[in-house]
Amino acid sequence: SVSNIVPESCLLIVVGLLVGGLIKGVGEKPPILKSDIFFLFLLPPIILDAGYFLPLRQFTENLGTILIFAVVGTLWNAFFLGGLMYAVCQLGGPGLNHIGLLANLLFGSIISAVDPVAVLAVFEEIHINELLHILVFGESLLNDAVTVVLYHLFEEFATFEQVTIIDIILGFLSFFVVSLGGVFVGVIYGLIAAFTSRFTSHIRVIEPLFVFLYSYMAYLSAELFHLSGIMALIASGVVMRPYVEANISHKSHTTIKYFLKMWSSVSETLIFIFLGVSTVAGHHYWNWTFVISTLLFCLIARVLGVLVLTWFINKFRIVKLTPKDQFIIAYGGLRGAIAFSLCYLLDYKHFGMRDMFLTAIITVIFFTVFVQGMTIRPLVDLLAVKKKQETKRSINEEIHTQFLDHLLTGIEDICGHYGHHHWKDKLNRFNKKYVKKCLIAGERSKEPQLIAFYHKMEMKQAIELVESGGIGKIPSAVSTVSIQNINPKTLPVERILPALSKDKEEEIRKILRNNLQKTRQRLRSYNRHTLVADPYEEAWNQMLLRRQKARQLEQKMNNYLTVPAHKLDSPTMSRARIGSDPLAYEPKADSENLPIITIDPASPQSPESVDLMNEEPKGCAGLPPSPEEDEEGLVMRVKEPSSPGTDDVFTPGTGDSPGNQRMLRCLSDPGPRPEPEEGEPFIPKGQ
Amino acid sequence: SVSHSQITRLYSRFTSLDKGENGTLSREDFQRIPELAINPLGDRIINAFFPEGEDQVNFRGFMRTLAHFRPIEDNEKGKDQNGPEPLNSRSNKLHFAFRLYDLDKDDKISRDELLQVLRMMVGVNISDEQLGSIADRTIQEADQDGDSAISFAEFVKVLEKVDVEQKMSIRFLH
Repeated sequence: SVSNIVPESCLLIVVGLLVGGLIKGVGEKPPILKSDIFFLFLLPPIILDAGYFLPLRQFTENLGTILIFAVVGTLWNAFFLGGLMYAVCQLGGPGLNHIGLLANLLFGSIISAVDPVAVLAVFEEIHINELLHILVFGESLLNDAVTVVLYHLFEEFATFEQVTIIDIILGFLSFFVVSLGGVFVGVIYGLIAAFTSRFTSHIRVIEPLFVFLYSYMAYLSAELFHLSGIMALIASGVVMRPYVEANISHKSHTTIKYFLKMWSSVSETLIFIFLGVSTVAGHHYWNWTFVISTLLFCLIARVLGVLVLTWFINKFRIVKLTPKDQFIIAYGGLRGAIAFSLCYLLDYKHFGMRDMFLTAIITVIFFTVFVQGMTIRPLVDLLAVKKKQETKRSINEEIHTQFLDHLLTGIEDICGHYGHHHWKDKLNRFNKKYVKKCLIAGERSKEPQLIAFYHKMEMKQAIELVESGGIGKIPSAVSTVSIQNINPKTLPVERILPALSKDKEEEIRKILRNNLQKTRQRLRSYNRHTLVADPYEEAWNQMLLRRQKARQLEQKMNNYLTVPAHKLDSPTMSRARIGSDPLAYEPKADSENLPIITIDPASPQSPESVDLMNEEPKGCAGLPPSPEEDEEGLVMRVKEPSSPGTDDVFTPGTGDSPGNQRMLRCLSDPGPRPEPEEGEPFIPKGQ
Repeated sequence: SVSHSQITRLYSRFTSLDKGENGTLSREDFQRIPELAINPLGDRIINAFFPEGEDQVNFRGFMRTLAHFRPIEDNEKGKDQNGPEPLNSRSNKLHFAFRLYDLDKDDKISRDELLQVLRMMVGVNISDEQLGSIADRTIQEADQDGDSAISFAEFVKVLEKVDVEQKMSIRFLH
């Protein structure tokens, strides 16, 4: 089919061309991709998405390589291209003679940068192995600093009469300022965001906002001072992520993930379409010599650059880059909309030949995106390049990798060699000792990474089991045991375990079924205020209980497996009630005195697993225990804190409610609409 | 094999650790390294240097153990199929790590051995039961022959996706 051959980016550009052509045909002036809009609104989401979900482990392991490609490679490209184009211009006859060296160098610097948007768009579809992906992608992100510096430098120099050595040296220094400054700004904002997230336990709803807000501010602040905005954005995303993820609720986490994906998708689409439209709309000046030589030299520069640099880098790498890798890296050097926008920003006064530049840039972009983008997939298959392994990280890998980390750190210490592992270990220790305490709320700051990973894994598995209806997929007894075993220490509250007979169960089911409909109409509106403050609620150990509930929940889910899913039991509803954010831990001190009602999800099939914690001793004994524990299986009614760990509107009944009323409130949150491809609500740590 | 300059460097390191100046290192000499003291696996690593039952290790033994961590050279791959496998082959690297888990040397990582390692890595805040469940889960994931322990083959299989050649190599031994 078409989508297998043609990458999405190409199709979008074609659409843009068509739309632009249409508009022009009608006689209107098609809109051009304004640089403001591009840099302020379209680019940041994509970069933030990339930065927030950057696979940190691979990135840091290959940082040296990536930096060399990004900095040295881009510089080489820029100067090589600029120089050669100058030569071409000199020789190119009257049309080109007037273009000076600086203008050419500027042109070179604009077009030399590998574009993250284009790389993402193409590489995402070919599922290449992680090493190559992170190399090309990392390069495209980090070369922004170089591009910014060169661009501003040459732009300014073009207005000077004379360029002195001092200017050049200053320019060289400004590179460090721009890149390190950008990173610094990003780190600051990242830390602020992490710190803020520590206190958001009462306002879970706006947690995602902080992530977006601070990141965007990092970007703007950096751009304001002509520092590298992209690097600021990446730095802030990378820095804030571990701490924010430890602090925020599970739902916020999902929200952030999907919002970022959504925004970046939309941006990407718009960018490519606009590229197409702008092509039609723009003023062009086609000069065969210029354009063809640009294209040629771009390719040559890239190939040469990669070859030479790889030869150099391989001396220092443990795992060398093979020629196949080098080919993919060279071939993956796609140019994109950033180059276009930068060119568009040029001032006509100083750069009269802007149109010609624009035409050349568009040609190069089209060539790289269409030709290289389309052919890279068959080439990857042809060359049998390693593809990405789709499997998730197993607990074994996690444990053994950590084990090996410690081992290698130890060996390095014995050798007296301060290598990669040594510094990583030091950073981890520092992080654990000081930083985590500041930035992560409550007890989670002490949670070892392994445990966190394990929890996430168990949770994910539990959810998957439920969603799949569980039939035939009963986890081995070991897992069940494991879930049961988690946190046996907190068994503070007595549990009344009524025995449920089958008739009672049927009765319960019937009641639920009948009342479900009415319930929805009597729904209280999904009011954000009810999410925040809950006047009835004051318990602070809801966290602990929630954790415990989560454990029991998982246990119940295992038991629940034997119950065929009912229609009412849509995955979304079950998801909506799962663990009301078991990750939103905030273990406050155990204030045992505060009685809490919590109904644990119970499986009808195993009455002995029904747990009921009762606030009023009189309340529950005789009642058919909370009818709601049934159908939804995973219904978890939390009678407490607004602790918006539960964004569900579970209003606590003023106790003594008869079953129906409880059920009413319990079901008041219909939960999110089912998302067709909601597969992984979690992002495993260490990813 | 290792180059001359590296041997020199390692020898000077060896002598700097050897406070007793008798050409061999004892366990105390290793324990004097500060970072090793806070390393969860410190003791086991130290033990790995000492051959069975001995308390002193000479430079040769020192080098031999460290040789496991040499990066695998491209030109070595496939060269010497007939000779003994070099110490820094992937299999031998993994075997080294495996031996650190398997204290009783029965070629299996039992649940207890795994628990011990987990306990060392995770610290004191986690309950035994919780660690137990993690250990169970780990063994369940890896175990293929149903003996509730991880054999070397199973160990290798679980780590097949991990880039051991890179991970277990120290660049300076290159």
